[in-house]
Amino acid sequence: MNMQLLISGIIFGLSLGGIFFLMSIGLSLCFGLMRIISLDQLLYYSLGAYLTYTVGLLIGDVWLGVIGGVVVAAIVSLLVERVVFRRIYERDLPFTMITSFGVLIGGVGAIKYFWGLIPRPVPVPIAAQVDIIGTDIPVYRLVIIGVAVLVYLGIWLFLNRTIIGKAIRAGTEDCEHVEGLGINVYRLFTITFIIAGGLSGLAGGLYAPLIMVDPQMGLEVLAFIFMVVIIGGLGSIKGTLISSLLVGQVVSLGSLIYAPLAQMAPFAVMLLILLVKPTGLFGSALQKR
Amino acid sequence: MNILRWWWGLLLAFALMAVGRVFVPLPFANEVLIFSIYTMGCNYLLGRVGFISFGQPAYLAVGAYAAAFYLFYFGNNPYVGLLFGTVAGIVFSLIIGPLFVRLRGDYFALVNLALAVIIFYLMQKVLADVTHGDNGLWFLTSLTSTPILDLTRPDQFFIFAFLVAFALWAFYKYLDDSIFGALCLATKINEDKVKFLGYSSFSIRLFAFVIANTTTALAGAMYAVYLGFVSPAITGPERAADPVVVTILGGVGTLYGPLVGSIVYTGMKDVFSKIIGNWELVIGFLLVFIMLAGEKGIWGSLAPLLEKLFTRGGKAADRGSRQ
Repeated sequence: MNMQLLISGIIFGLSLGGIFFLMSIGLSLCFGLMRIISLDQLLYYSLGAYLTYTVGLLIGDVWLGVIGGVVVAAIVSLLVERVVFRRIYERDLPFTMITSFGVLIGGVGAIKYFWGLIPRPVPVPIAAQVDIIGTDIPVYRLVIIGVAVLVYLGIWLFLNRTIIGKAIRAGTEDCEHVEGLGINVYRLFTITFIIAGGLSGLAGGLYAPLIMVDPQMGLEVLAFIFMVVIIGGLGSIKGTLISSLLVGQVVSLGSLIYAPLAQMAPFAVMLLILLVKPTGLFGSALQKR
Repeated sequence: MNILRWWWGLLLAFALMAVGRVFVPLPFANEVLIFSIYTMGCNYLLGRVGFISFGQPAYLAVGAYAAAFYLFYFGNNPYVGLLFGTVAGIVFSLIIGPLFVRLRGDYFALVNLALAVIIFYLMQKVLADVTHGDNGLWFLTSLTSTPILDLTRPDQFFIFAFLVAFALWAFYKYLDDSIFGALCLATKINEDKVKFLGYSSFSIRLFAFVIANTTTALAGAMYAVYLGFVSPAITGPERAADPVVVTILGGVGTLYGPLVGSIVYTGMKDVFSKIIGNWELVIGFLLVFIMLAGEKGIWGSLAPLLEKLFTRGGKAADRGSRQ
C-alpha cells in the first residue's frame, strides 16, 4: 500500500467518522438525556438531505439548502415531540423504540409522497482540492471534519458551561428535584430534542452531496448508527465521538484492504467489543429513572 | 370436554382460515400463512420473554439460505430443503444464543439488527460466488413433485402451510400453558425472583430464543420453497422491523395476534399500494396510534369483546350445571 493511498484513506475515514458522529449524536443525546431511543432521528436526517436537494435545485446554493434542512428538521422534530414524545417520556426503552420506528416509517412514506421514489443527486458545493503531502484531498471532506469537531465542542460547551445545559444534565439525574427548583424539565427536553433533530438534519444535508438522496436513505444507515452508538455506549457523547472515528477508519481502511470487508468489519468490531464489555466503551449500566 | 375447550379456539380460527381460502386469492393466503409463522417467533420473544428483536430477518435468511443451498446445489426434494432450513435455524440460534441472551433488552434489539446486516452483506458481497449476490438463487423449475402433498403447486402448498401453521399454533398454545411458558413470563416480569426460586434465567431465555428463532428459520425455508428463489433482499435493513410491526399491530403476546396482524399487514400492503402507492405512511401512523392508544393491538382489543360475547352463554351454562 503506498503512502498517497494511505493518507487519502485516513482523511476519507475521518470525514466518514464525522458524518457518522453527526448522524448518531441525535440518537445519543436523546438517550443520554431523556432515556428514549429515538429512531425518528433518521427521518430528520433524510429530511435534511431532501431539503438540501430541493433548495440547492431551486436557488442554486447548496449551503443555503443545508441551513434550510437544519431548520426544517428542527421544526418537524418539534412537532413530533409535541404530538408523540411528550406522552411517552416515562415509558420503557423498547416502547419508545417501537413508537419512534412508527414515526420513522410513516415519515419515509411521507417523503415518498412528496419527492417520489427516484434517487436524486446533489452537487458538491466545493469542488476544490488541496494538496497534503503530495496527495489531493477534496476540501469538502475537510469541511465535514471541521463541522463535526465544532459540533462536538459546541455540545460540550452547551452541556457543561451554560445554565440550560447544566439544568438538562441535572434533569437527567433527578427529574423531580429539578422540577422542585422551579425549572420546567419538559421544556428542557423539548430543547434537547430540537437540538438533536437539527443536528440529524445537518448530517443529512452535509452527507447529501456525497451520496444519492433517496427515500430509504435513513433506513440504510440505521444499522451503522446503531453500531456507532453501541460501540461508544448508549448515551455517552464522548463515546459516540470516539466510536464514530473508529468506525470511519475501519470502513475506510478496511475497504482499501478488501472491498467487501468494509461493510462487515465494523460489525465484527462491535460484536467483539460487546462480548468484552456488554455496555459499550463508555456506557455505564444506566437504568430508567 | 376440557380437551375440546382447549382446542376450540384454535379450531375456530383455522376453520375461518380454511373458509377464507375460498374467498381470497391463493398467493395472498399463502403469503399470510408464511408471514404469520414468521411473526410467531417474534411475538413469543416480545410478548413472553420481553426481548424486542429488530433482527428477525437474520434468522429468516438463515433458514431460507440453508434450504436454498440444498435445493440449488445438492438435491431437489422440497421437504428435505425445509428440514435443512429448520436444522440450520436450531444450530445457528444455539451458537448465537448464549452470546445474545445475556444482553439487556435495548442492546439485544440493536445487536440483532446488526446481525441481520452482517448476514445481508455476507450473502450479498462476501459469499457472492456461492449465493450469486443480488441475483439470488433460482431453483423453482428444478424442484421435484412429491407424492402426497406436492409443494411445487401453490394450492397444495397452501394445505401444507396450513397444517404447519396449525401445528405451530397448538405448540405455542401448549407452551403458554406449560411451566416453561410461565417461567418465560416470570423472567420478563422479574428476573431476580425467578433466580431466587432456583431456576436459571439464562437457560430459560436460551431455550425460548432457540424455539422462537427456529420457527422463524422454518418460515424462511418455507419462503424459499414457495417462491422458488432466495435473494439477500429478504434480510435487507429496510425490512428489518416488519415482524415487530406486525406483532404490535396484531397485539403483543396474544395467541392470535400474529395471524390477525399478518392478515391486516399483508392486506394493507396490497390495498394501499394499489390506491395511494405508499403504504408506509399508513402503517407508520397506525403503529404510532396503536402504541399511544395503549399498545394492545388489533387482536388485543378485540379479544376481550369476543370473550364477553361468548362467555355470557358459557357462564350461564356453568351456573345451570352447578345447581
